[in-house]
Amino acid sequence: MEVLDFFFNSLVFPGLLFASLIGLLYVGIDRKVTGHMQHRIGPPIWQEYLDVGKLMSKEDITPHAAQSLVFNVVPLIALGAVVTVMLLLPVYSAQPALATVADLIVIIYLLNIPAICLMLGGYSSGSPFGSVGAARHVVQLFSYELVFILVIIAVVTRVGSLNLTTVVGYQAQHSWLILDWRLIPALIAMFTSIQGKLMRVPFDIPEAESKIVHGAMTEYSGPKLAIWRVVYDIETLVVAGFIAALFLGGPVAYTIGGVQIPGVVDFLIKTLVIVLITTTLRNIMARLRIDQALKFYLTFGALLAIISLVLVLVVP
Amino acid sequence: MDSKEVADLIKAHVGDVRIVSERRLFATSDKQRFRDLLPALKVAGVTHLSTITGVDRGNAVEVIYHFDCQPAILNLKISLSKDDLKIFTITDIFPGAVLYERDLMEMLGVKVEGHPDPQRLFLPDDWPEGAHPLRKEFERESK
Amino acid sequence: MTFVVPFGPQHPALKEPEYFRFEVKGEEIIDLNVRLGYIHRGIERALQERSYLHNIYLAERICGICNVAHTTAYCQTIEQLANIEVPDRARFIRTILCELERIHSHLLWAGVAAHEIGFNTLFMFFWRDRELVLDLKEMISGNRQISASNTLGGVRRDVKPEYVPTMLRVLNKLEKETKYYIDVCTSDRTILARCMGVGVLTKEDAIKLCIVGPTTRASGVDVDIRRDDPYAAYDEISFKVIIEREGDVLAKVIVRLREILESIRIIRQALKALPRGPLRTKVAPKIEPNEALGRIEAPRGELLYYAISNGTDKPERIRVRPPTYANIPSFKPMFVGGTIAEIPIVMASIDPCFACTDRVTLVDSHTGKARVVSFDELRGRRK
Repeated sequence: MEVLDFFFNSLVFPGLLFASLIGLLYVGIDRKVTGHMQHRIGPPIWQEYLDVGKLMSKEDITPHAAQSLVFNVVPLIALGAVVTVMLLLPVYSAQPALATVADLIVIIYLLNIPAICLMLGGYSSGSPFGSVGAARHVVQLFSYELVFILVIIAVVTRVGSLNLTTVVGYQAQHSWLILDWRLIPALIAMFTSIQGKLMRVPFDIPEAESKIVHGAMTEYSGPKLAIWRVVYDIETLVVAGFIAALFLGGPVAYTIGGVQIPGVVDFLIKTLVIVLITTTLRNIMARLRIDQALKFYLTFGALLAIISLVLVLVVP
Repeated sequence: MDSKEVADLIKAHVGDVRIVSERRLFATSDKQRFRDLLPALKVAGVTHLSTITGVDRGNAVEVIYHFDCQPAILNLKISLSKDDLKIFTITDIFPGAVLYERDLMEMLGVKVEGHPDPQRLFLPDDWPEGAHPLRKEFERESK
Repeated sequence: MTFVVPFGPQHPALKEPEYFRFEVKGEEIIDLNVRLGYIHRGIERALQERSYLHNIYLAERICGICNVAHTTAYCQTIEQLANIEVPDRARFIRTILCELERIHSHLLWAGVAAHEIGFNTLFMFFWRDRELVLDLKEMISGNRQISASNTLGGVRRDVKPEYVPTMLRVLNKLEKETKYYIDVCTSDRTILARCMGVGVLTKEDAIKLCIVGPTTRASGVDVDIRRDDPYAAYDEISFKVIIEREGDVLAKVIVRLREILESIRIIRQALKALPRGPLRTKVAPKIEPNEALGRIEAPRGELLYYAISNGTDKPERIRVRPPTYANIPSFKPMFVGGTIAEIPIVMASIDPCFACTDRVTLVDSHTGKARVVSFDELRGRRK
């Protein structure tokens, strides 16, 4: 029974199937909203399904210079990593699907795996654009990741536990952490950091198309590119879910007028709001240069996160 | 400077001057006098060289320098016989001429002496030596 | 230790193929070398093998974006060559078309520049408003891009009185939007971070290297052919020459956006003062031996045509000096000392139009033999 449960969890809900369906839909919504913000009609919100479906049906090509195991395997590793994070997130209740003792540190590590896989893919692709994109990715990873971890440390210090379930439970008993004024700087820092993590403007430097085509993903095509797209879309959902759990109290089940509304609905609403905030941010800014991005994260972003941390430690 | 003032300035260095309108004048000179004319123009405040045109006139190639004297534009013509297709560079006085002189060299085969960077500009690297697309004989040769 | 970074002929930041060779030390650019000619189509030679009337269509196709500028300059030069007076109404219509083209070209450029710095929302906004101008061009000339309005001795299509209210309405909308864009470009933090102090061209360099157009005006050089050497109806219209002093990319953005406002003023005046009368005069096909020079202020700067006639219906020689050709020497002072990351936006900042620059021979890549392709041959190939 436990084995069946595990397979159901990882492959259907909240694993691969659920995560990819919702992730693709969210990025579709993101593209539609972007279209409207740019005074275009934009693609239909199910466009991501069509795109991924079409890419899946294409011929699987590996460029001659990129003939290596690494190039072919990294998309799958990245997919595995993001789906695992999905299992560790509270999606329908405070309890994640994978009820092992996994704490925030594991999630931080797993969230880095797609980025590392993308770098490996870029370096192994044999294309100068790929390696330049990967090199920029490394720089960017070191900058936003510091801010990301500092924010998590601030939250963890506030709650006093490294366990995500405890963080969500704490918020259910007291109040959402977003309502704690000491953590507001950290929340802002968090949004700048995920903008870099999800490679959105102004921090889409590793795939700046006017300079380096599509960065590390330049040589990927067909099914492999489709997997990358799914990884990216699930990552968007996962990061949004992670912030929802940290700051917005995670999934909460309500009863409105006698009707039970499951926690997953709450999860979907909260994550969608977070995705839409990042969509807005990416549409109102220009791309920074890599040195400017680094400077921004190491001064402004890190400063905000540290302010929060100090406030949490000092102010009772 | 309008056309009359320009004509006064350059008359010592040119053969004939034809004033077409207030802002257009055409003049003819030769290599020696042209050399002295350039500093005179520069001193008079002419800084803008609009372009250099080369024209194949059969047995000679005419090189026409278009100087913008604001508002008049001076078209200074120098005729070079095809036996001696050489002219000195003016990039030391008008640095903006650098591309136009490269253009002149490859399109008409005028040798510009003292040019700082006498490479090809438009024509491909495997272009045959001595074929100059704007020369009258070019088409006949290549057919 | 220096490295060579090739940039082009195929590169995502270049909309047209051209080759740049950057020498870099770390991230810093210490030298560059330009190699033109990747889209060289032998147009100068072709111009002297076609009749004067035929050449209008060829001149129009030198550059798609500034086709009105090319035909205006060409027609004007040939009219001077044949001593033809253009009717007043035609002069005003040429002015209107030239200014509409300037607005559309500047908006197109602003969109590309916004895309180069990754600001896609602004890019879409610019191009949305550019559509308004293209609609006006379509209304007047029947075509969105290649207007085919200019002809020797005048213009072919009229600006009908019923067009005027529509045009004024669209211009009002454009004016409002442009003011908003100027506001955005001077206040948005990310745009300032990418454009301010980048790719500086000093006034001394701009004068020394004979740079033209908005590129030189952004460096504080007071040059504008519309005022200095009036053509079409510009001598009867009052307008300001827009100058910025900084010489960086931001100054080039602001100069172009403010020029849009001036262009709107010019069109309003021209529509108001539009005289009645015929649209064109007759031109004899053969022109006596003569020489003439015409220049206009194209959207990218001074565009120069020089023509020599020889008594037949074909010119002896036509020289075309498009503005981007004159602006290429400005790359060196703008790039040297900068970083590699600045290349796309600085390159875009002069609004390069390489199709214009590479006019003049076709190389058969299979045989390596060079020749000029004839019109009959082209027709033969299409069969």
